[in-house]
Amino acid sequence: MIVRLYRSLLIGLVPIAFSACASPEPASAEQELAVPLGVDLGGSGPVAAPVAPAQGEPAYSEHLDQTQMAHAGANDAHGTGTVNSVDPAQHKVNLSHAPIPEIGWPAMTMEFPVAPSVDLKAIKPGIRVNFTIEQQPGGMYEIKVITPAGGGR
Amino acid sequence: MSASRTSPLAAVLAAFATAAAAQISDARDGPMPGVPSDAAPPVMDRGIFAHAILNELEGRFNGGNPEFRWEGQGWVGTDYDKLWIKSEGTLQSNGALDDGQQQFLYARAMTTYFDVQGGLRSDIDSRPTRNWAAFGIQGVAPYFFDIEVTGYASGEGHLAAKLEGSYDLLITQRLILQPQIEINLYSKADPARLIGAGFSDIDTGLRLRYEFDRKFAPYIGVVYEGKLGQTASLARQAGESTGDVRFVLGVRVWF
Amino acid sequence: MTGPVFTRRRLLGGAAAISALTLAPWRSRSAPSRAPVLSGAEFQLEIGAEPLNITGRPVTGTGINGQIPAPILRWREGDTVALAVTNRLSEPSSIHWHGVRTPSPMDGVPGLSFHGIAPGETFVYRFPVRQSGTYWYHSHSAFQEQTGVYGPIVIVPRGGYAEAFDRDYVVMLSDWTDDNPGRIVSNLKFQSDYYNYAQRTLGGFVADAQRRGLAETVADRLEWGKMRMSPTDILDVSGAPYTYLINGQPPGRNWTALFRLGERVRLRFINGSSMSIFDVRIEGLPMIVVQADGNDVVPVTVDEFRISVAETYDVIVQPMAERAYTIFAQAEDRTGYARGSLASQAGMAAAIPPMDPRPMRTMADMGMAGMEHGEMPRMELSPEGKRLEAKVGVDNVAMMPTERLDRAGEGFPSSRRVLSYADLRAIRPGSDPRPASRDITLHLTGNMQRFMWGFDGKKFSEAEPILLQRGERVRFVLINDSMMEHPIHLHGLWSELESGHGEYRPYKHTINVKPGEQLSYLVTADEPGRWAYHCHLLYHMEMGMFREVRVA
Repeated sequence: MIVRLYRSLLIGLVPIAFSACASPEPASAEQELAVPLGVDLGGSGPVAAPVAPAQGEPAYSEHLDQTQMAHAGANDAHGTGTVNSVDPAQHKVNLSHAPIPEIGWPAMTMEFPVAPSVDLKAIKPGIRVNFTIEQQPGGMYEIKVITPAGGGR
Repeated sequence: MSASRTSPLAAVLAAFATAAAAQISDARDGPMPGVPSDAAPPVMDRGIFAHAILNELEGRFNGGNPEFRWEGQGWVGTDYDKLWIKSEGTLQSNGALDDGQQQFLYARAMTTYFDVQGGLRSDIDSRPTRNWAAFGIQGVAPYFFDIEVTGYASGEGHLAAKLEGSYDLLITQRLILQPQIEINLYSKADPARLIGAGFSDIDTGLRLRYEFDRKFAPYIGVVYEGKLGQTASLARQAGESTGDVRFVLGVRVWF
Repeated sequence: MTGPVFTRRRLLGGAAAISALTLAPWRSRSAPSRAPVLSGAEFQLEIGAEPLNITGRPVTGTGINGQIPAPILRWREGDTVALAVTNRLSEPSSIHWHGVRTPSPMDGVPGLSFHGIAPGETFVYRFPVRQSGTYWYHSHSAFQEQTGVYGPIVIVPRGGYAEAFDRDYVVMLSDWTDDNPGRIVSNLKFQSDYYNYAQRTLGGFVADAQRRGLAETVADRLEWGKMRMSPTDILDVSGAPYTYLINGQPPGRNWTALFRLGERVRLRFINGSSMSIFDVRIEGLPMIVVQADGNDVVPVTVDEFRISVAETYDVIVQPMAERAYTIFAQAEDRTGYARGSLASQAGMAAAIPPMDPRPMRTMADMGMAGMEHGEMPRMELSPEGKRLEAKVGVDNVAMMPTERLDRAGEGFPSSRRVLSYADLRAIRPGSDPRPASRDITLHLTGNMQRFMWGFDGKKFSEAEPILLQRGERVRFVLINDSMMEHPIHLHGLWSELESGHGEYRPYKHTINVKPGEQLSYLVTADEPGRWAYHCHLLYHMEMGMFREVRVA
């Protein structure tokens, strides 16, 4: 009979024990952490051109002229690199090139459109090339001249 | 071309090969890349939809013999072509079924707001069965009146017509008052069905529904079931009422 | 006699060693990363079913790499990217890179670019990245875009940024519903105002009559009733089924972007929703709009902008106090909002402003500007207009469509500076100086009662492709005969909006045409292929507001 008494007592205590274990500790610090935070993709780094003034100001058109003149001056840039692939149908080449200090470019792998007059017959994947690029009105750089650099890889 | 589950290596290799092959063949296949015109279309805009609604599913009470009435319709089809089913009937407290009109119609969208419908109507209830060819229009009239106008012709050359209309007046966003009317007319009397020539009967009501959900709205209301002209005479002769005002309680459901 | 040097055991052992070497890197490649930002030039994306709980009810959506929204893809202009997309759903899928110019087979539209990605299949997209800015990607199959397959793309410019900033956040707005999108469309087919709980009522009639007089109110109701139109039709799907999300978070979760005092913060707003147009503002903070649809515009300072489905706006803000600012994106029909914070500390929150009054459609939206209550004699539609109006798929033809690019739209108080398309002026002149050789005029039409949508009264299945010659320069003229906004998106080619700035036309990929409005844009057909051209309201597109533009 005593066992029965203890048993009912234990059974009565079990739910209390569970609820004591189950209820979480209230913590205000946890509430702050619960706010979903945005992922910062980082800053812009050094900017290519100064901030353009607000719309409608006469200074804007002057600034644009300056920018355009700046581009006219930095017409041709020269580089060397290795050809990754050639797309004869679209007249494009993909190069891995060394830094081009004339226009402040680091070493990169990228695709260039090639001027229509350039013959791409000698340009094959894997060869080293010297090339000249010129910036187009839309902003893209186009290859004006591209020649094998001589000697294999 | 689909990847086998057993080898991720094979899957990735196959995928790379497929993509590479696609690029090579596009350059050689002529000036315009893309899949052939018989491929599955980018949007499936000829979908088939199906819906059905019970506009009336109600008990009708006048302090004497209660009635139970249903009136509903449903369709399945595309934007332009649908198959319709329309059904109505009134169950009397003595077990007799009255006004059991069932219609099976093909509908074609004719104008922006109206469909043309054609098919079959069968009067199936406690009275002798009648079958009719049906032809009519259904749609939304200016000022948002829902209307149905249908003409019928029986094998014996009798003609009939049914005019139905209703309007939804929003009292609040969910409380809606709906006046509704249905009128039947016949070219020739049909005594076995207690129907006289001319305008035969009118069933009109005012129902106030509350939309708990768009698809489920209980309502209360008041209806008038009236018999007109020759039909009224026939009804009086048979000892039936010619005009009845009843209080209704029901639910409007659709899916 | 010596046997072969390689015994069978050694051969097998060698083969095992070799396959272990080759399989090991493949195995690690086949597990997609769960990181929220993926950078580089090679990507593994897996589309799969995703359990989630936005409203308190656990449901299953569709996500990429276990996330909704999908991870931010970070590319560099000039790189060639390769993206292996694996479909782990039980139905076909696809990914379209919205606003990114790719060769046509890489554009991701099943039935036009490729056959789609079958369940279990992996498709590798590979293309050079020839542009920079903020874009996004989403499924182009069925309603997967609604159930979670959408994510941001950030392309870092090769030459560096024109505007300096210290922090950079993507703010992707979307709409979420626990309901099955197929069910939503089916409901709209039976009752097109199913989700509109802001219709005109008896109470509204009485209030209007007290304010404007009984005669005028009756005349107004009769005028709209005669046309079988309702001026309360703003968005087809409202906040009734939708919860509006900011980067996948409902308003209560307070998604926060942190800043330090004095910093310039760049916010890349993307409307990745299916059916919702948002009016965005940051209480207490003006915004400098620097990019629209990924392209630089002359910076313009505004208090608020309306961003339609699929558009993007990059803004720079400079908070001047150490507090929280509420980023407030209310749905155009004012049935809900997405909300986040720009704060100097996590956990801070500012007051959420009340929503503005709900806009109402006007006679100008019906294409009848200036004709109020039949005061002016009603003009007649041309025979062509009458023919169009008679079609089953058309419920209205604008009598006098107006060009209102200098108006932001309805629903803004006059005290706020709101961005309009006329404010968008490109920084650089367009790259193709040729004038258009011909005009292609299209009417944006629909039948609200039947919930049918199309161009020129025709659904996609009823229409022919629009044919362009390779290299051609054309003008698209759009006339919106319907009374709802439509964000029109042309894949593969830039749309140069003629917003009154001559050769400084803004380059856009998605153009929002207001009800009753007429506008035009120039397109150079410089990329061959079969391009999708459609309204980006997902349910309009699926109901037929879609065309193929074929450049051969």
